[in-house]
Amino acid sequence: MVIVNEFIENFKAQFLDSDQVIFTEETTFRESGDWDSLTGMSILVMIEDEYKVSITPEELKQCEKISEIISLINEKAIA
Amino acid sequence: MKKQLLNAYLTNTSYYLPTQVLANEDITAKHPEWSVEKIATKTGIVQRHIAGNDEFTSDMAIKAANNLFTTGVDKNCIDYVILCTQSPDYFLPTTACIVQDKLGLNKNMGALDFNLGCSGFIYGIGLAKGLIATEQASNVLLITSETYSKYINEKDKSNKTLFGDAAAATLISKNPSFALNGNILGFSYLTDGSGYDNLIVKHGASKHRFEKGKDEFTEDVFVKNDDNLFMNGNAIFNFTSFSIPPLINSILIKCNIAIDDIDLFIFHQANEFMLDFVRKRCKIPKEKFYIFLKNCGNTVSSTIPIAMAEAIKDNRIQKGNKVLLCGFGVGLSAGAVVIQY
Repeated sequence: MVIVNEFIENFKAQFLDSDQVIFTEETTFRESGDWDSLTGMSILVMIEDEYKVSITPEELKQCEKISEIISLINEKAIA
Repeated sequence: MKKQLLNAYLTNTSYYLPTQVLANEDITAKHPEWSVEKIATKTGIVQRHIAGNDEFTSDMAIKAANNLFTTGVDKNCIDYVILCTQSPDYFLPTTACIVQDKLGLNKNMGALDFNLGCSGFIYGIGLAKGLIATEQASNVLLITSETYSKYINEKDKSNKTLFGDAAAATLISKNPSFALNGNILGFSYLTDGSGYDNLIVKHGASKHRFEKGKDEFTEDVFVKNDDNLFMNGNAIFNFTSFSIPPLINSILIKCNIAIDDIDLFIFHQANEFMLDFVRKRCKIPKEKFYIFLKNCGNTVSSTIPIAMAEAIKDNRIQKGNKVLLCGFGVGLSAGAVVIQY
């Protein structure tokens, strides 16, 4: 299972303005900080590195909140 | 007795940028959903140079080479021209042959083009070193010249933002007779053609010669037109993220050098966000990682020679330094080389 606080830290680290944004599980991340498609790409690589799970750009597109990404990783890690 | 192979040295490099400029302001004027500042912080690019309507790869190659000939390189000594391009003037003949003539070079020489993109400069150094080591040539003129702008769709704001046109010319010589001569030590290469369609101009060459593309959109955002340059940004980002750190490790092992012994790293200048991401994955300190793309963007095979020329001007490369160059992209293809100055 993904440790939520740890994931949020890893997630936040992909933002250039990470010191200025506050993230919780409920954050709708596309409206936060300097999010753009490049941030998304680095998040997918981070997830593969840290959680050994591969998420496609299309799957990420379906997620609005951080909690939804966490659920997706947990599902895939079990499968 | 086995004959000793000759050394080959990377000597002077010059480049040429077309006069026409595309600034971030020009992009946001057409695509107001993007901001000038955001493009600059994310990509590290403020402007790109674009070849004129009547300016082509051979023209830019000639200008870059003529710039090189003002640095003390004697054009009469050149006995081989290698030209890297994916936007040749013609399908045939070879652009390097046109360049040989227009530069007024010797006829007793070899000239060839090769088709690679962002990894091309490394492969060109590899070919040049092979020619010199085996005494087929003494002074190789390596030119990189690319006009991707002619392939980019007017509505494609992503590619328009990243790519700029440029040419660079480098002399690789058996003689270390210049102020700064880099002995070419060793190479690592990587090819994964399974990703061939992640960076592609599909139509126009023999396979889809007469097919006609149309603009494709997702939720009103331009995605692609097969007549134009298409880049799957995610796929290229992944390739770079996962392939480059092991490639760097492999070349360090091959050359028997510790990462701390490299004085400067010059990677293909794709965009600053990705460069920074890859730098961290390779565990390279920021102060040893040269960035130069603010005023020219991603110029494909010319980013490394342009950055190298600027690093030398900046005194960031000096006698005694070890420099690691690494290119990656279309093919998919990557390569790295270590230079001992």
